[in-house]
Amino acid sequence: MDDSICQAYEDEIQSLEEEIKLLAEKYEDSQQESTFFSDEEILMSIKSFQREFQGEPKGHESPSDLKTQLESLERDLSFLMKFTGIQFTSHSKKTVEKTPHGTLQKHRLSGNCRHLSFQLEFQLLEVQNRENVSAVVTGLSIIMESGGHSDVSKFVSRTEEHGNLLTFFRSLSTYAEWCEHRRRTFLYFK
Amino acid sequence: GVFAHLEALEARAHTAAVEQEDTEQRVEKLARLRARVQELRLRRDELQAKVGLQQKGVLLLCTLTAFPAEPRARAVLEWKIRSLKAMLQVSYLTGISAKLTRRGVCFCLSTAYEGTYLGSYYLDLLTKPQVRIHRHSIPVFIPLEHIAKQYLQTDIRRFLVVLFDHLNAYTGRRYQAEQLQERFADRIEGTVQSNSLCNLLVFKYNVLSKSETFPFSVRLLYSDLCSSLPTEVTISCAPEAPTSLAEAAAAHSDLFRRVALHKVF
Repeated sequence: MDDSICQAYEDEIQSLEEEIKLLAEKYEDSQQESTFFSDEEILMSIKSFQREFQGEPKGHESPSDLKTQLESLERDLSFLMKFTGIQFTSHSKKTVEKTPHGTLQKHRLSGNCRHLSFQLEFQLLEVQNRENVSAVVTGLSIIMESGGHSDVSKFVSRTEEHGNLLTFFRSLSTYAEWCEHRRRTFLYFK
Repeated sequence: GVFAHLEALEARAHTAAVEQEDTEQRVEKLARLRARVQELRLRRDELQAKVGLQQKGVLLLCTLTAFPAEPRARAVLEWKIRSLKAMLQVSYLTGISAKLTRRGVCFCLSTAYEGTYLGSYYLDLLTKPQVRIHRHSIPVFIPLEHIAKQYLQTDIRRFLVVLFDHLNAYTGRRYQAEQLQERFADRIEGTVQSNSLCNLLVFKYNVLSKSETFPFSVRLLYSDLCSSLPTEVTISCAPEAPTSLAEAAAAHSDLFRRVALHKVF
C-alpha cells in the first residue's frame, strides 16, 4: 500500500519537473521576445557594467566575457552581411507553441539589400530530427517597394504564394552581386 | 529450557526492531517525497502565475528570475547577446550563412524546396596562407573538387553560389522524388528508382484507356545539375499498346519537363 503511494509521489515529481522546465523556458522566451533595448542603452550598459563590477560575481560571466561575446557576435553578423549583401536591420520573434516535437514561431525580419528594403513576416515550424533540424515556412508576407517595376511585384507575389523564402533571399543576393559587377564595370570605364 | 526461551525472546525483539526501523524509514521517505511534491507544486504555480501575467501583457521590469539582485546593465547585455544570437540563428534561412572561426570561416549552406527547408551542409574554410577547404559535409557525388578548382581561389562568393546551386538542386530533386513516392504511391507501380545524385529517375505508372490499364515506363534525366526540372524525358509503353496512347505519352512527356515531379499527378 505504501509502495503505491510512493510511486504516485515519484510520478508526480517527475511530471512537475517537466512542467516546470517547459514553463521556465516559456517564461524566458517571452521575456526575451517582449523586451527591447535601444543601442544607446546597450552602449551605456557596457560602460556601467565594467565600472560596477570589480569583484567576481557568484559563478556568472564577467563583464569582459559578456563584452567579448557581444563583439564576436557583432563581427560574425557584420561579416555575413557584407558577404551576402543582405543586411538585417531588425528581427523579432514570438513563440506561438513549443512542444517536445517542435517549435512554432512567428518572425518579423526587416532589412535591405543595397537600396532595396524589405519587411518579412512568416511563421516557422522547426522540428528536431535525428540528424538535423527541418523547418517549414508558412504565412509568408513580403513588403518590398517595387519602385514601379511590375516584375518586382510579380516576383514578390509569386514568392509569397509558394512560401519561397529561400528563393527570395537568393534572388536578392544575386541582385546585389549584379549591382556590384555593374559598379565595378563602370569604374573600370571611368 | 531457559536458554531456548531467551533466544526466542531475543529473536522476536530483533525482528521487532528491524520492522520498527523499516517503518520509520518508509515514513521518512514518504514525508520527504511529500515535501518535495509540495515544493515543486509551489514553484510550478509561481511560474504559471508569472507566465499568465506575461500573456496578459504585463511587462515585468525585473527581468531575471533567479537573480533578483542583478544590475540592470547585465540584463541589458544578456538580452542583446540573445537577440544577436537569434538573428544569426535565422540567417540560415537566406541559404548561405557563416561563422568566423579562429583560422577562417565556416559556411553553412541551407537548401529548401519552396517553403520546406531540406537540410544544411557545412564547409569549413581556412583562409591563410590561401583559401582551402578544411572540412565539409558535402555528399561525395556533388562535384566539390571541380567547383573548387574553378572558383575557390579567385572568387569565393562565386564558388559558394555554384556549390549552393548544385546542393539545392540535388535536394530539390530528391524531395520531389520522395514526395512522389509518398503522396502518389497508389498511382506508381513499385517504387521510384534513382541514383545517389537524384538526376536519373525511373518509375512506372498506369494509364487507363478504354477500361484497360497500360503501364508506362518513365525515365527522367536531369543533365543540368543545377536544375530541378528534367532535361530529358523518355516514356515508353508496351509494344502492344494502342497508338492513341502514343499521343498521351507525348503529352505526359511534355508535362514532366515543365512541372515539378510531385505536382504532375
